[in-house]
Formats: sequence, C-alpha cells, structure tokens
Amino acid sequence: MEDHRVIKYNHVTDDVMKKLVAICGERYATNSEPLRHSYMAKGIMGLEAVLPEAIVRPENAEQVSKILVLANENHIPVTPAAGGLSGGFALPAIEPGGIYMDMTRMNKMTVDLENRVMVVEPGVKSGDAWRIFKVKYPEWAPPIPDGAPPAATVLGDAIERGFSLVTGVYGPQADMIMGLEIVLPTGEMFRTGSWALPNAKPYYRWGPGPNPDGLFLGSQGSMGIITKAAIKMIPHPHFKTVVAYGGQNWDDIIKPAWEIGKHEMGIADNTVMVQGGNRQLVMTRWPKTNIPTDIAFYKKMGIEEYWMNYEVWAWSQEELDFVLSRIDEIYKSYETSANTQCPKQELHPKQIASRLKKPNKIAVPYSLWQAGFLFITWYVPWLESPACMTEYCAKMEEYGFPPTMWVASIDHGRQAIVMPIVCFDSTEKGIYEKIRAFNLETTKSFLKKGWMNYRPDPFVHAPETFSLIPDYYKMLVKFRKVLDPNLILHPGRLAIPWESVTKLPNPCGEAEPKVTKQFATRATVPREKLD
Amino acid sequence: MSGGKIEMITLEDLRRINARCIHCRACQYAYSGEPDREGETEEYTGMLQGCPAGIYHGWEGYFNSGKQWIARAFLNGEIKPSKEMLEVAEACTTCGMCETQCPNYIDTVQVTEALRAAIIESGIEPLEKHGKFRDMITNKDMRNPYKEPRDKRTAWFSGKKDNRTAKTAYFVGCTASYRQQPLADHTASILKKLGIDFTVLSDEVCCGSPILRTGQRKAFTEVMNENLERFKGFDQVVFSCAGCYKTFRNDYPRMSGKPLPFKVRHTVELVGDLIKQGKLKIEKPYAKKVTWHDPCHSIRHVGIAIEKEILAKSNNWMLDSRGAEKAKEEHYEIPRVVLRAVPALQLHEMYRIKGDSFCCGAGGGVKAQFPDMALSTAKERLKEAASTGAEILMTSCPFCVTNFNDGIKALKEEEQKTGKDLSAVGSKLRVVELLELLDELL
Repeated sequence: MEDHRVIKYNHVTDDVMKKLVAICGERYATNSEPLRHSYMAKGIMGLEAVLPEAIVRPENAEQVSKILVLANENHIPVTPAAGGLSGGFALPAIEPGGIYMDMTRMNKMTVDLENRVMVVEPGVKSGDAWRIFKVKYPEWAPPIPDGAPPAATVLGDAIERGFSLVTGVYGPQADMIMGLEIVLPTGEMFRTGSWALPNAKPYYRWGPGPNPDGLFLGSQGSMGIITKAAIKMIPHPHFKTVVAYGGQNWDDIIKPAWEIGKHEMGIADNTVMVQGGNRQLVMTRWPKTNIPTDIAFYKKMGIEEYWMNYEVWAWSQEELDFVLSRIDEIYKSYETSANTQCPKQELHPKQIASRLKKPNKIAVPYSLWQAGFLFITWYVPWLESPACMTEYCAKMEEYGFPPTMWVASIDHGRQAIVMPIVCFDSTEKGIYEKIRAFNLETTKSFLKKGWMNYRPDPFVHAPETFSLIPDYYKMLVKFRKVLDPNLILHPGRLAIPWESVTKLPNPCGEAEPKVTKQFATRATVPREKLD
Repeated sequence: MSGGKIEMITLEDLRRINARCIHCRACQYAYSGEPDREGETEEYTGMLQGCPAGIYHGWEGYFNSGKQWIARAFLNGEIKPSKEMLEVAEACTTCGMCETQCPNYIDTVQVTEALRAAIIESGIEPLEKHGKFRDMITNKDMRNPYKEPRDKRTAWFSGKKDNRTAKTAYFVGCTASYRQQPLADHTASILKKLGIDFTVLSDEVCCGSPILRTGQRKAFTEVMNENLERFKGFDQVVFSCAGCYKTFRNDYPRMSGKPLPFKVRHTVELVGDLIKQGKLKIEKPYAKKVTWHDPCHSIRHVGIAIEKEILAKSNNWMLDSRGAEKAKEEHYEIPRVVLRAVPALQLHEMYRIKGDSFCCGAGGGVKAQFPDMALSTAKERLKEAASTGAEILMTSCPFCVTNFNDGIKALKEEEQKTGKDLSAVGSKLRVVELLELLDELL
C-alpha cells in the first residue's frame, strides 16, 4: 500500500529513552512492551489507536516541557492523556506511536472560595474532586462530567468542551474555564487570562489581550499541553430531585424541553440537567441474550419509547415544588397543543437517588449488550435534534446496530448533544470497517445539514468536515505550525498532517506542510513565576 | 470433560468477556459506584484506590484495567509472551476488588489467571517461587507447597481419620495441616461442639490454589482430580481455609466442567447458618473492640460467584440483577452475623469492606514471589484497621493472618529502630482468627 504520509516521524531510540528516564526518573519512564500495551483502548470514544513506543509519567510542568523539547529535537510524536478516556480518546493515531504522556501523577487541586474557582491539574479525577468538595466545601460542587466513570478527569472533560452535570445551564464545559497553564510543543510555558500576570488570580478569563484559549480547547492535545486549568465551581443547593416524562416520538421530548429551556433566569436555571433517550438506551445496558426486547415489557416497567429526565436543584422545598409544577404545566400545555401524550413517569426513590448520584458509571455498561460500544457525539441546534436522531436511528438499524440514542440539552436548550451509542461485538470480524462505513455515511449526510461533530475522529469526521471548510482548515494549520512547528503533538488529530489520515484532497492544496526545525531548548518561563 | 480429559477454560474462551472492557478504569477504585460515600475520616471517604498491585507499582499495566488490555493484545497476537509480561501479570493478588467494580461484569480474576496460564503454556517458565510450588505440589511424597512429608499431613488430628461413614469431611488444607495447626484444632473442636459427625482424610492433597492462581493449570488438574475423587462420597465438605474453600467452591466446577458432588461450606458459614436459624446462641462475652477484615477468597469471591450464578440462569438481567446483588450482599453479611452474636464484642468496621474490601496483600502467589508488595499492602490495610480504634483485627483466613502479623512485626521493628509510636498505623493491633475465638466462646 502506498504510504500517503508526508511527514516522517522518528522512533524512540535507546538514547531518547535514557533521556526520558533522566527527566522523569527511573520509576516514571518505560518502554516495557506489556506496559505499553496496557494503555491501549478501542471503544467508547474512539476505535483507532496505535501502540506508543514509550510511556512517561511526568510530575510537573517542567518535566512536561523538557519531554517536549526532547521530542522536538528528535522529531518524535507525543500524545498527552489526562485520564485516558475522560473527555475523549487519547492514544496515538498514527505510526510510529512515539511518546505517550500519562498525566495522572499531576493531580493537585486547589479551591478559591472567594473567587469561586478551582484549579486542577490534569490528573484530578471526578470522583476525587466530588469527594473533596463533599467533605470540605459542601455548599459548592465541581463541574464534573455526568455519566463518565469516576476515573474521568475534570480537566480532560473541560478542555474537550464536554458535558457536565450543569451543562444544561452553563453551556459546554469549556465555557467554565477561567484560565489555562499551557506548555507549548516547543517547551515554552505560559498562562492565559488574568492568570498571565504574575501573582494574579484567574478571575478574568479574557486577560491581557486576545485570548488564545480556544486554540487549545478541543484541540485534542495537538496545540499544547494544558498542565493546569482554572475552572468555575458552582453552587450546590441541596433540594434536588429528578422528574421524567415520556413521549410518543422525538418531538415529544425535545419540544417541551425547549419550552422549559426558554425560562432562563427562572426555572430553566434550576433545571441543571436535561437528558433523555429512547427505550434502547435502557435495553442495551444488558446482555442481548439476557434481556427482553419487546416493547410490552418496557411499557410494563414504566419505560416509554421516548423519555426526558429533568434534574432539578433548588434552594428550598418551595422553590423545588414551584419548578416541578411549572415543568408539569408546560408539559400539559404541550400535550394539548401537540395533541399527544407525554405521561409523567413514576420514578422509584431508588431510581431518583441513583440518577442524582455523581459521578456515576451509568454510561459504562453498554459493552454488556455484546462486547464493545462507541459513542459518536454531535452538536445540533436543539429543535433540529429530532431529525438528527430519527435519521441516525434508522441508519443504525440499517447497519444492524440497535438504535440506542441519548440526547441532552446544552445551555438552556440552545444546542443538543446527540449521541448514538453504537453497541457491537468487538470480536466480530470486520466490525471496525462496518462501523467506519456507518460513521462515514452519517457524517457526510449530517455535515450537509450543518451539524457538527463534537470531537472529530481523525479518520472520518475531521477530514470530511475540513474538506467542506478549506479556509478554516488552512487557518488551523497556520496556527498549528506557529505553536508546533514540527507537528509532534498528537499527530493525526484534527487531520494534521492531512495525508497521514486521509486520501481526500488536501484543503491546503498540493504543497506539503513544511516542517521547520524550530524549538526551544529549555522552558522560557521559570517554574517559580508560575506558582 | 470428556473421556477423562478435562476441557479447561482458556484465555481464548474468555475473549468475548475480555472484549467488554472499554478501559474506563472504574476497576481501580473501591466504591467506584459510590464516590460520594461518607466515611468517618477525611482519609477514608469517597472512592479510594483499591488495587494492591496498582497502588504499589503505579503503572497502568499493574491495574486490572491495564491487564485486560495486555490480555487482549495477547489474544490478538499483538504481543509475544515474555518473562516480563508474566511478571506484570503475576504481580496481582487476584483479590477481585476490580471485579466488584466492573459495570460490564467482566470476570477480571479469571482473565488474569487465564492470561498467566496462557503465558506459561506458551513456553515461559513460571516465576521462581511459583515454579517451586508446582514442584512440591506435584511431588507425590509431598503434595503441599511447604516441602513437608505427605504422611505427616494429618498428624495433628487425634480423631478417627478416613471415616467413610461420616457425612461431613473437613478439608484441612496445607497451611492448617503444616503451618497453623491450631487453626485445624480449633476447627475440629468447633465441628465437635456443633455436633457434626466429621472426619479428615489422610490422603487429602493440596487444593491446588497456589498453582491455579499462578497459571500452572496442568499441575492443578492433577490435584483437583485427586481431591474430587477422594471426597466424592461425602454429603458435605467443610473448610477453615478461605483459599481452599474458594478453590473448591468456585474453581473446581469451572475447571472440571462438572458440578461438585458434595456441598461445601466454610466453618464460619456453618456457625452463621446456625445463628441465623436460632439453633446456636453464643453466651460467653468478648469485651473487645474488633474490626473485621473480609478475606477476599471466602467473602468477595464467593459473593461475586453467588451473584453471577444467579445471573447465569437468568434471561432477564434487568429484573434479576437486584436479587442477585442482594444474595451477594447476604453472603457478605455472614461474618457480621457471627460477630454481632458475640456478647460484648464491639464491631468497628473499616471503611473498605465487603465487596470493596482492601486485600491483605498475600494472595495470588504474591506473598511468595513479591514479598515487598505483600508487606506494603498489609501495612496499608493495618493502617485502615487502626483508624477504627479497634484493638483486635479479626479475620478468617490463614494467609491474611500471616501477612498481617508480618506487617505488624515490621511496624514494631520500625518502632524499635526509630523510636516512633506507630500505633496509629497498626503496630499495636492483635490479629485474631475468628475460628479461634469461636472455639473459645462455644
């Protein structure tokens, strides 16, 4: 097969390995074959991964900087990972796998109650953050991802612009960020927002001038390595519950939620999380061979074909009751106007307690259906989500996958996060090719409709998307070359270098991205100035 | 099993179970499903790292989450077996904490043990100490991992041996037979006090646990077959060793492909049954502050097996999973039923208990091959035990008892060297085997 890669990367040599050990210490750098395999993953957020050649576990930003300088000098790719699967999929996408930077040792967290900001390093896990807040700051909550496993990291979710327990009110998780500490691929370090100023707190996101945060958020670790993030924490009122309403079709769960979402500075702000799905979302959490598949069983269990959950937080029982009564009124009004039925579901107290539990493992058991699953996530305008989900479900069935669908509100129903869960048997021959074909077909269709993939995978979403927006891609490549002249960071992500991931025509034209050997030989900002 | 040849479960047989792993890493944490669980102290609250090997080594490959992906690479022919790979796979106590956490019900310990076996069966020599186990256990003059003569196995027993008219046989196990004979004496005494007509068999052989755990399945099959043959005429076989009990109860049916021809019960369970039925009342008091350590083999592994046995028969997991979980939890309650029945005993539970219990550090061949890891793990558990304010650390497993005592010994030595008081991390704890206490009280 013809090699379409333009840029050739070098392997991790014995000499480089020795230098990695010198930077991180003997215990924290390895090229052990079994240990390298132990970091692999194919599922949940991505399927394409290659084996890294070395694993490092840096202790601090200085070590991160030194590793990047070394990698730059030797033109070796580096893939940073916080929790691995927390906000996304962080494994090398193309050969050679290079250096995998496991950031979990960097796990410090500080809390500034006065300015209502928490500062987390990449290794702070949601479960740990939740525990610490519960014990020390019970009136506050860390904005952790909901449904992601407790080992998912706060920073990983934030920098990937993910979904959190308050995304329905505050928007994608990246909107909570107040400042970043970044190590560039050249080894340089800097902070964004007011945090850039020595001794200043991260109280003003936009800081001294044009704010570069957006280049790093959603870059999938390809523009720079974020070693600290200042993130808004949220008030934590303790009058809470979950209510759920069924529906006859996707419209029946989306339209009433839109009506509720419009009540900003009102009941919509109490309704922190709005998420729903279809019957298959419940069914495919169990083994295919050990669960009824007929609708009647689920009806009997009180599970409608379509349903939406509302998690409500309030400062008093009166406020909680008021919000619930208004939601109910809106549903009744919708039922009349749409001539449909949206029955309120009777949730057992244990079901409510289970849904209020944070973080939880609710998104994990989809491997039970067969032996593997993949989340493919799209952002669409809220009222367009029924069309998106209808098309997606039909296509899933056409490809032989159960039409498992989850949807949630972002920012008061301005956007929908639409997420089909592709349940499959990862031991089946040719299954990855089948998923890829399904993904490609839906991606082409959705992009035409103006819908965006939340975290584009390097081989399908990114090339298809950027092929439609060549000027945007050219701009992205320009920024990337400024920040990462040798393209060492997580290559393949965002379809850079283009030819490493696709045979589609390069939006930049025929010219190959030039590699310029520019790199710093040391960190330019001393550590003490950052603390 | 066909024609006398046993078709053992292989790593290949577990391929689809292993393939359920999405690398979520929930398995690294005790209480991964209850991250807001409240403990008594700030240190012991919420979800906590609970994998002894992962905590000790730090690298992903030592956690179950990493090992599942090493196993997958092996299954897919992406990695060649090596001694290095075996060392990573063997540095696990097979405590099963990970298995409790997995939302995809992956049989994590079976995969680890099958991975070890697959590496060895591909031609890699067992690790040094594990190989010695095998040599001694397969030696017909020994049939135990302690290098002791086979004919001395039941020397401790003064009752009628090999009494085939008895309905119950006591499987003593190698450790109680050769190293902790008071445990065998106490158990026999309890059985007598309970009025159980029992015997011990002079031709009992090692249950095979040390060699099964470490991947030496051929040798395991040999001793399993011998034991199954020798005990097959009894109605019931009872145990005092958590490891032997788990091996008979869970592994023999799985590895032989046949249900056991007799009932099995741990002696603590026998006592618990009688207390629950109202047939036994403990009168003598034990006025001490006690904390209980759940042995992984007899508590967690058996509990998980009970749950999975129910689910294996179910065609509706959504309806039956709660009942299965309840049955598991009932099993976890058994030692607590016994302890609560002891007058004046003050039970102070540790934070990590039952399915989320933290291992003593001795299991899975770790104590022999990786003594530093075993000791470090014991110390972590002792610290947790000490945090309850208890004076007694009670358990019912000869390996837990040994490893905890080694941990306390190390703490005392450290106290002597440094002059520091290490009572807050467990140096003053006294380890008591529950069967010893029950023998005193009954």
